Amino acid sequence: MKTTASALEFKQARLENGLTVIAEVNPEAKSAALGYFVKTGSRDETAELAGVSHFLEHMVFKGTEQRDALEVNLEFDRMGASYNAFTGEENTVYYGAVLPEFVPRLLELWSDLMRPALRPSDFEMEKNVILQEIALYQDRPQDMLMDWGPSFIVGGHPFGMSPLGTTASITALGQQQMASYHARRYSPSNLVLALAGKLDWDRALDQARELTQHWPKSEAERSYPSFSPRSGEVVKPYEKATQSYLSFFARGVSAQDERRYLASALAHVLGSDGNSRLHWALVDKGLVESVGADHLGADGLGLFMVSAQMDPGNEEEVIEILRREMDRLEAGGVTAGEIERAKNKLATSIVFGGETPMSRLFNLGLGYQYTGRYQPLSEIAQRVNAITPSQVNALLEAKPFSQGFLFRLVPGKP
Amino acid sequence: MAFRQGIYSIGMALVQVETLSNGLTVAIEEQPWNPGVAFQLLIPAGATTDPAGLEGATNLLEGWLWKGAGGRDARAFAEALDDLGVRRSSGAGLEASYFAASFLSDHLEKVLTLYADLLLRPQFPDDALDPVRQMALQELASLEDEPPRKMFTALRRAVFESSHGRNPTGTAQGLKAATPEDLRKDYQRRFTPQGAILALAGGVAVTEGLEAARRAFASWRGNAAELPQARLSQPHSIHLEQKSAQVQIGLVYPDVGIEHPEYYASRLSTQVLSGGMGSRLFTEVREKRGLVYSVYASPGGVKGYSYLGAYAGTTPENAPATLQVLAAEIERLQEGVTQEELDRAKIGLRTALVMQQESARSRAGSIANDLFLRGRVRTLEEIESQIMAVDLGRLNRFVAENPYTRPWSATLGPAKLEVLA
Repeated sequence: MKTTASALEFKQARLENGLTVIAEVNPEAKSAALGYFVKTGSRDETAELAGVSHFLEHMVFKGTEQRDALEVNLEFDRMGASYNAFTGEENTVYYGAVLPEFVPRLLELWSDLMRPALRPSDFEMEKNVILQEIALYQDRPQDMLMDWGPSFIVGGHPFGMSPLGTTASITALGQQQMASYHARRYSPSNLVLALAGKLDWDRALDQARELTQHWPKSEAERSYPSFSPRSGEVVKPYEKATQSYLSFFARGVSAQDERRYLASALAHVLGSDGNSRLHWALVDKGLVESVGADHLGADGLGLFMVSAQMDPGNEEEVIEILRREMDRLEAGGVTAGEIERAKNKLATSIVFGGETPMSRLFNLGLGYQYTGRYQPLSEIAQRVNAITPSQVNALLEAKPFSQGFLFRLVPGKP
Repeated sequence: MAFRQGIYSIGMALVQVETLSNGLTVAIEEQPWNPGVAFQLLIPAGATTDPAGLEGATNLLEGWLWKGAGGRDARAFAEALDDLGVRRSSGAGLEASYFAASFLSDHLEKVLTLYADLLLRPQFPDDALDPVRQMALQELASLEDEPPRKMFTALRRAVFESSHGRNPTGTAQGLKAATPEDLRKDYQRRFTPQGAILALAGGVAVTEGLEAARRAFASWRGNAAELPQARLSQPHSIHLEQKSAQVQIGLVYPDVGIEHPEYYASRLSTQVLSGGMGSRLFTEVREKRGLVYSVYASPGGVKGYSYLGAYAGTTPENAPATLQVLAAEIERLQEGVTQEELDRAKIGLRTALVMQQESARSRAGSIANDLFLRGRVRTLEEIESQIMAVDLGRLNRFVAENPYTRPWSATLGPAKLEVLA
């Protein structure tokens, strides 16, 4: 970072109730972003509760004892906030960005919303919206590929739970079940309040303390059963698909593992857009509509993921080439040139990731939730810069791709 | 060399615009604090100007361009860009093709030189065309698996009688028919500097950026290709039958154009309708009735014609009510908005403007877009003062005189809906 690096300041505090508050203050920014990062998601659900984290995320916007849903939406709009929330396997994140003068107001609103009223009438109404959302994804095979895919490799591990849940689990879910899930999981010690951009830290901290002091504490544990990935292949015919969709998963490294930068570089070499092993083997030959590889460092486990979309007539050939390329990678390793290019592109992404408070917020909040520490972009840049081919090749010694799982979602009647 | 110049101020930054003698317009916004640079290169060659019978030609050309340029084959070219850490995307759109890149400032000269190779010295090897064609055909087929996109593609085709109704991916027939010779000839005709725009934003000084652009692109030659006029059908309804879990609903209403004196009043009224989660559509369709997960209205259009597009996705049993509420809310806008709604709409639009300033990529994109659609770059101050100048009386006069009525509509789902009396 040329000029902003010196201006950035990291702040952190733990409140008496256990809530962690962190900030990356940038006086030169034109806006500020802030949000709550809740360490809860589908992996913290039982089968009976499938989809409750995501449904609860919707219910948060339905208001509190002092605000109804309409008032919540209006208050965001009165600040001109750009805001939303998302739920995954491991995190539920509420975020927003505003002009600096609205930071106290946005902080007040999000803090209030973390204690939602969960009114039964809102619950029944929002259940319809969730069922609509599930129906939307059901019509898009590429979404179902990612919803179903991970469950195959992780076996019975809770990481395989779908964030969406199913029509049946959502229909059966009761308001009391959600209320008790909220009481367990939204304990202050399980949340991180993160802020980024142009803001007054002392004021924000005082305000957060006052706004959250009444939050009751609870034990929000997460279970970490051992992760033994399965290998194999499943073919699932899907009536709504006219194209074929593949996802391949292999064991990676966790979000806490220092080798996560190496894993990203390896995924880059295998399947980044425009120049990678799979690009030249599949895209350049016109065999697929798209292909990509990525590495997901999660809480205590990690996965390499490859996904591709193609004409069903090409499917067998694509699978053969995919397996051949992964074998070749494991046998011969990466080259120095490939790693150099991957590093150059990652370096550019890091610089552009620092442009807006909103993009900084995700990195800041999620990074802290996983590792319990702050990593400035300059440090990430150094880590990436230090990557060597032999370090990356060491990741391949365990032959992760030979033991992966292939999920095929194909046209046809089930 | 330059025959048209101007300096516009945007907040702290300046945008300098200069048109080179070959017709290429270069715009630069300095962000001295930014260690990165982003550019958007826009060429007014898109599906609307694909030759008859070769629908999809632009799409094929855009893919084929990457198969080797200058002295480098496809792989060497990609590696040269990766050596400079260039993050890139490109695409063939309805009215224009675009090439976007972001990278560290130090590499500007080298990156522009590579993109000049790409556009001025493509190799277009014969044997690389068929894979590009195969990809495009798969892209076309995948439309079946994306019902919202499929619905909007059909709706646009229904709205426009001119080539603006085309699917930018092309048609199976056009994609299959194109020969290497056809495409090379077409490329010479349409991918020219006349009307092309190179917008740069980030850590680049104006003089240095202009010089680099001039060195890279000054030898580019070609005549302007004619852009077609948009022609519209009479508003009507279409239905696509598909065994989907959801019904897709799309509406298109005629809107005032970007040069209309009350253009900003129309943007504010759209914001009241669908600007945030407190807006009318979200409140009435989703929050009060739970009919949908997604509902919105947003401004759209092509050069010379603007419209308001609206969307909702819902299950078949909710579809009639959803369509009814959606259309009723849009048409009710003519009855006027409240002061509070106007205030929220204003702060929403102003905040979005400020945030756009923080990202070099957004700025490059908006500058290119402004130059393409309006022939000039609007300053932040200009947009802001235009927005602030719209008071309640003026806005309510505007919506009363310009009601949204008589839309084109499309539905996709298991059964046809009774649409709009």
